[in-house]
Amino acid sequence: MSSNNTFKYSGTVGMQHEEPLLFEHAHEAPESINLPGVNGDISTALSAFSRKKPANIPGLSEPETVRHFVRLSQWNHGIETGFYPLGSCTMKYNPRVNEQVVRLPGLAHIHPDQPQDTAQGVLELLYELQGWLGEISGLPHLTLQPAAGAHGELVGLMMIRAALDARGQQHRRKVLVPDSAHGTNPASAALCGMHCVELKSGPDGRIDLDELKRHLDDETAALMMTNPNTAGAFESDIKEICQLVHDAGGFVYGDGANLNALVGVARPGDMGIDCLHINVHKTFATPHGGGGPGGGPVAVNDTLAPYLPVPRIEKQGETFALVNGSGTSIGPVLGSPGQIGVMLRAHAYISAFGRQHLHQIAGDAVLNANYILHRLKDRYHVPFKGLCKHECLLTDEIQNKHGVKTLDIAKRLIDLGFHPMTVYFPLIVHGAMLIEPTETESRETLDAFCDAMLDIADACEAGDTELLHQAPLKPFRRRLDETQAARNPVLVWQG
Amino acid sequence: MRFLPHTDTDRSAMLEKIGVSAMSDLFADIPAEFHLDEGSLNIADALSEAGIVRKFTKAAEKNRNATNTRYFLGGGTYNHFVPAVVDYIISRGEFLTAYTPYQPEISQGTLQALFEFQTMIARLTGMDVSNASMYEAATATAEAALMARRVTRKNRVVMAGSVNPRYRSVTANYLSRLDGEFVGVDMGQFGTDLDRVIAAIDEETACVIVQYPDFYGSVYDLAPLRAACDAAKCLMVVAFSDVSAFALIESPGALGADIAVGSGQSLGIPMGFGGPHLGLFTCKQKYLRQMPGRVCGLTSDADGKRGFVLTLSTREQHIRREKATSNICTNQGLMCTAAATYMTLMGDAGLATVARHSAAALQSLVSQLPDHVSAASGARFNETVLSFADREARDAFLAAAKARDMFAGIPLEKIDAAAEPRHLLVATTEMVEADDINDYLALLEVAK
Repeated sequence: MSSNNTFKYSGTVGMQHEEPLLFEHAHEAPESINLPGVNGDISTALSAFSRKKPANIPGLSEPETVRHFVRLSQWNHGIETGFYPLGSCTMKYNPRVNEQVVRLPGLAHIHPDQPQDTAQGVLELLYELQGWLGEISGLPHLTLQPAAGAHGELVGLMMIRAALDARGQQHRRKVLVPDSAHGTNPASAALCGMHCVELKSGPDGRIDLDELKRHLDDETAALMMTNPNTAGAFESDIKEICQLVHDAGGFVYGDGANLNALVGVARPGDMGIDCLHINVHKTFATPHGGGGPGGGPVAVNDTLAPYLPVPRIEKQGETFALVNGSGTSIGPVLGSPGQIGVMLRAHAYISAFGRQHLHQIAGDAVLNANYILHRLKDRYHVPFKGLCKHECLLTDEIQNKHGVKTLDIAKRLIDLGFHPMTVYFPLIVHGAMLIEPTETESRETLDAFCDAMLDIADACEAGDTELLHQAPLKPFRRRLDETQAARNPVLVWQG
Repeated sequence: MRFLPHTDTDRSAMLEKIGVSAMSDLFADIPAEFHLDEGSLNIADALSEAGIVRKFTKAAEKNRNATNTRYFLGGGTYNHFVPAVVDYIISRGEFLTAYTPYQPEISQGTLQALFEFQTMIARLTGMDVSNASMYEAATATAEAALMARRVTRKNRVVMAGSVNPRYRSVTANYLSRLDGEFVGVDMGQFGTDLDRVIAAIDEETACVIVQYPDFYGSVYDLAPLRAACDAAKCLMVVAFSDVSAFALIESPGALGADIAVGSGQSLGIPMGFGGPHLGLFTCKQKYLRQMPGRVCGLTSDADGKRGFVLTLSTREQHIRREKATSNICTNQGLMCTAAATYMTLMGDAGLATVARHSAAALQSLVSQLPDHVSAASGARFNETVLSFADREARDAFLAAAKARDMFAGIPLEKIDAAAEPRHLLVATTEMVEADDINDYLALLEVAK
């Protein structure tokens, strides 16, 4: 495979730059970067442990390094480049001012163990954020520590387990998870030493109350639910659902992945949810970074508050403090106070909307999703009728008749200038296409995307499907061979 | 609201198309009793962009930071130099605002950067393979213990007491809800006593976790542990808190580690009050399919051109659900790009200089200590423990140093709760200059 990589810069056409691996740049490393510090001797004791063979990390000069990574960046799609309608991922615009303020030296270059009286500014912002997330969720007690949504799930379940143990209910280890749930839900439950039972969704894609009742018993620890669910539908029976679980002695865990549909409009805590994680890179616009860093603060009610992890951020008189001790806490879940830079960006996003405008996030997000649904519903199969919330679910059922699948539609969208929607999720419908526009897209963009989707539907009906099967034809790389990658995994360059 | 493109005219027109008359109709499926009144939440009033900058600047100015204070703080977070290019690259919207590269045709930039990252991390740690990151070092250590249990089908985990207490407590916490045993081995010193660690291994042991350099900065020979692990058929897991060490001292891979995990924060990532940092996870090739987290692999596209994809996803939660190797989904992707950029700028020579200057600064400091302060003995990389007669002596020094714009160390008991309150955990990096060492020594004399 590597043998045909003779392109070096020569593969560049039309200023779309091929760029070799940095290991393939031919020349010797230049003089190393000029570094500060003590240019003295290390101890003889340490010298005895010196590395024998160099790591073979090829240094490039600064101009070459910049060009290398800038060229790589140009092979990427980002929300700043274009529409990113990934359902359940909430890819919205990431304000630049947030990037600016988190780089202030007093926020970026501070150590978690420096004296707390020299870190009051950051602690104050974090404390304020805790309060706001408590208000938004209707669950007043917060930990900002979980490093991502999945980590938040684990932390939330740990708290639920601790609360059950405190009641002497060590036998409650069953977690009910709807079949529409994110895969992290069952994986987190397993990591928390609990076992999952899958609930079959009802014909409308929502939780079926009878199915729920059948599975609730004195071994039930919790129901994990996403509301709106992953089909984009609000669980209108939420009050009854929570009541049933509570009556059975269990807790309701809310997966906050879809909080964007509710922010400022309604609160999970008011509906009976006991514990909710919030994906700040979704609802509060912290950049996704090509796969993190995320952030998964967990909000809980009074019952679960004693079990929050440590350290906690508290206000003691007029001072803010990171507090470690608590006998009932589930203990530490991360080696640091959290993804602080991510939390500060979330703070800035909420600050920009404030009390007056926060509800407009959910308002425009839901408006945009329903607008897309309305424009596409006659040409694509809509498995569950009615209003959607912040995302709409379609399937490839109509296009299947023409031999076209969801994957073909997704890849054709790339040729037409759009990032695909989320495909084949949720698992409860065949050929799922989950579209989430978010509040930061203009009507012009939504219309252009819908036009592209309608063109694809037209092409299917006209039997003009070859382009769909071949897609994408236009981007820098065409369909990649995932089977080959998995069968013979090459994860490091051997050159 | 400047992040929202619609005018009220747009909204009305869209509502009309949808066939409803008001925004509130879009929420008719939410029971009325749960509807909030607009503006009723107890959240601060909206701020202009200028207002946000002012508020954050005011908050930032209350914090002492590494641009106005000398940092001798470590314990898992280090004040290494971050070249301007690193922040520039990760500020580019194409990297910053991309999603996880599930559509590889239009994500080759992130994917190639991940592949280069994995390669450089494998080379630096001396290990066969690296994944595309974990959250940070403590949870990476916990995941290593879980992986060793899967590989060996045994469930007893032994950990040296010289592993960072935060990694220890998080690992113990993760394991406490699962069947099996967690054995912490007291070291009785500010270093690692391998005899004690080895004595704790038995046939039920899935893995032994040590830190190298350990929490107290001590560097030691891992060969006896490798032999003991072979004898007991358990895995040797090596944790680390400053990966830059391996540009200077022998790597975990060369010393026989089966799994090596730790922090990559020193590779161009600011301290950031503890995050976002970068968790590293590496292992031997033969254990690859039990490794947690995302990995990027080499492949080719329909035209035979080289390309990269996220691979081995059948280990992961979105496919395997409760049988997944981990629940991890989003990791620290952007921090991998930062680390890849940093390592490319540095190369072997730059990385070695960073490590050597870090170690030389510590050597300069401990070799000139006055009599009333003692340093832990033996080989140390860039971190050690200084001991004072009593708490008062130590705290008087800390206060004097703080008054002279210096954070002289972390009171050891703050991280290591069992420690007597008269020790100081002290770390040095290439950001410490000779003058800072002189000031440190002078302050020790003054606060005597």
